Amino acid sequence: MPTLKELAKEQELLSGGHRLCAGCGASIAVRQVLLAAPKPLVVTSATGCLEVATTIFPYTAWEMPWMHSAFENAAATCSGIESAYESLKKQGRLPVDTKIYFITFGGDGGTYDIGLQSLSGAAERGHRMLYVCYNNQAYMNTGIQRSSATPKGGFTTTSPAGKVKPGKEQARKDLTEIMVAHNIPYVAQAVVGDWRDLTTKVQKALSKDGPSFINVLSPCRLGWGCAPEKTLQTGRIAVETCFWPLYEVDEGVHKLTYKPKEKKPIIEFLKLQDRFKHLLKAGNEALLAEIQEDIDKKWKKLLFLSGEKSE
Amino acid sequence: MKNKILISGNEALAEAAIQAGCKAYFGYPITPQNEIPEYMSRRMPEEGRVFIQAESELAAINMVLGASASGVRTMTTSSSPGISLMQEAVSYMAGDELPCVIANVARGGPGLGNIAGAQGDYFQSVKGGGHGDYNLIVIAPASVQEMADLTFTAFDMADKYRTPVIILADGYLGQMMEAAQIEKKAIQSIKKDWALTGAKGRKPNIINSMYLADDALEKHNQKLQEKFQKIKKELCLVEEISTTDADIIFVAYGTSARICKSVIINLRANKIKAGLIRPITLWPFPTETIKQAALHAGFFLTVEMSAGQMVEDVRLSVEGKAPVYFYGRMGGGVPEEEKIIELVEKLHRESK
Repeated sequence: MPTLKELAKEQELLSGGHRLCAGCGASIAVRQVLLAAPKPLVVTSATGCLEVATTIFPYTAWEMPWMHSAFENAAATCSGIESAYESLKKQGRLPVDTKIYFITFGGDGGTYDIGLQSLSGAAERGHRMLYVCYNNQAYMNTGIQRSSATPKGGFTTTSPAGKVKPGKEQARKDLTEIMVAHNIPYVAQAVVGDWRDLTTKVQKALSKDGPSFINVLSPCRLGWGCAPEKTLQTGRIAVETCFWPLYEVDEGVHKLTYKPKEKKPIIEFLKLQDRFKHLLKAGNEALLAEIQEDIDKKWKKLLFLSGEKSE
Repeated sequence: MKNKILISGNEALAEAAIQAGCKAYFGYPITPQNEIPEYMSRRMPEEGRVFIQAESELAAINMVLGASASGVRTMTTSSSPGISLMQEAVSYMAGDELPCVIANVARGGPGLGNIAGAQGDYFQSVKGGGHGDYNLIVIAPASVQEMADLTFTAFDMADKYRTPVIILADGYLGQMMEAAQIEKKAIQSIKKDWALTGAKGRKPNIINSMYLADDALEKHNQKLQEKFQKIKKELCLVEEISTTDADIIFVAYGTSARICKSVIINLRANKIKAGLIRPITLWPFPTETIKQAALHAGFFLTVEMSAGQMVEDVRLSVEGKAPVYFYGRMGGGVPEEEKIIELVEKLHRESK
């Protein structure tokens, strides 16, 4: 496993000059994934901030073969590419020992919602590819609309907080466990803010002879209303409060890859972000308690699944 | 007019839908129409009505199908790529004879295209974007005021004829702000005795587009075609400007028509008699109006923000009685007044 110093000497595969925001979590996630991945690589992207801001024609920030087609089909497109390489090998047009690595990037809109069908299909068919969801918990590219990854109580432009509603009413979908249920070789949760955890998971995922999935929580300064210079800290506090536990499911076995020494109350995470500002006002104590309860329950379940002692 | 407010086209359309009695709105984010679901997410709960952000356009239009079958006024909105994704359900709704309003705040294509306004979706809207023999009523607003007014019309026409209605706008009309008045109009209540409301005390209703028995589907198609003929006979909205003495007649809709209006003023100042026929319903198309104008016009010039789509219907209407020329911009480009005037002056000289 290379150190951060060694990684920093590698060639950046997402070159500078792209138009993602200062402090964007997605670009940090992508750079770390690409640095850690074995080469050569072929990358596919779903529609989203990442795709739009890195490929404003005729420019591209991607230093490898890269493809985008539409919003709902990144995993299907990648399936096609991977199958084509396999076919070329069978036809004898590529040496049989050629090893090319396939990575797909999608935001939570393109992964949790509109792209879930094609992701599920690719996982079930068993294509050798790593799907990385840079999960910023809303449709940031189109102006911060809710997604099924938006947490309960979160403000978005289509789940506004007002007199009638308190922000998003529903709990977020647990996509990581949905992917676990596909019985693929490797599934993990990671965060922008713990580079070693993320890069280790990328290397494990790409060592598998089949599909893998990593769900990376990626703070978004605009959508979350958090300080751009605190992207990494915001990600880390999500882990410390168990809002976003770091874990992996390697060949079906759950394992925590980081366990907070002392689990912090969820309010420590919420108070850093404007999207939860309304929850901290008087009158919302019940909803806050409910959010804490949801997190405690999920954490307890994850401890059990990982064979850890309950707290 | 009193009670005018400064409002964007997207928001005017959304508020008009609420005033027109839209009980359930289903949408999905896509630029340049995001203001509509955002506005609806705030306003619909205030009115005690339904706002749902679907997980895809495919889901949104099928939620519309479900709500419409239950007998409520319902709407979805999107922009070009999203509308493409909806086509399967649109064909089903045409076959099922289910009313709804679908607003397309169109953008540049094909493919992902861009997010600027465009008129490249004319064929998709007017000629039938999905499979099978059907037509949709297609209404094209040209101002923020019309984004509101024609939304009322769209809901009324959908219910009257039991058919999906498309409001074909574009990104410019959606994003621009103008003074407009959104009136609370009396809702035309049409009894929907076909709706699936629970069959207690009556025969069950059936909503269906699948007919497998011999000739059954052809009969159903004949019934649909009769309806489309009836709509053609009864419904046609068109605006004519200075056409009675015009040598040159522009045919343009939506944003393009606004530009042509200004061109006409300039041409007339230079003693060139120009007029405009602006189809407001793109289907049914104002064939008769154009046919009549062709009897005295020197030539027609169709202006579109496309490679030339409506111009085909203009030619079919003119029936060879006068030359029909085309000027267009694609991929979000906007026709410029100077370029149009230059072209008209050239064509005018040549036609003498």
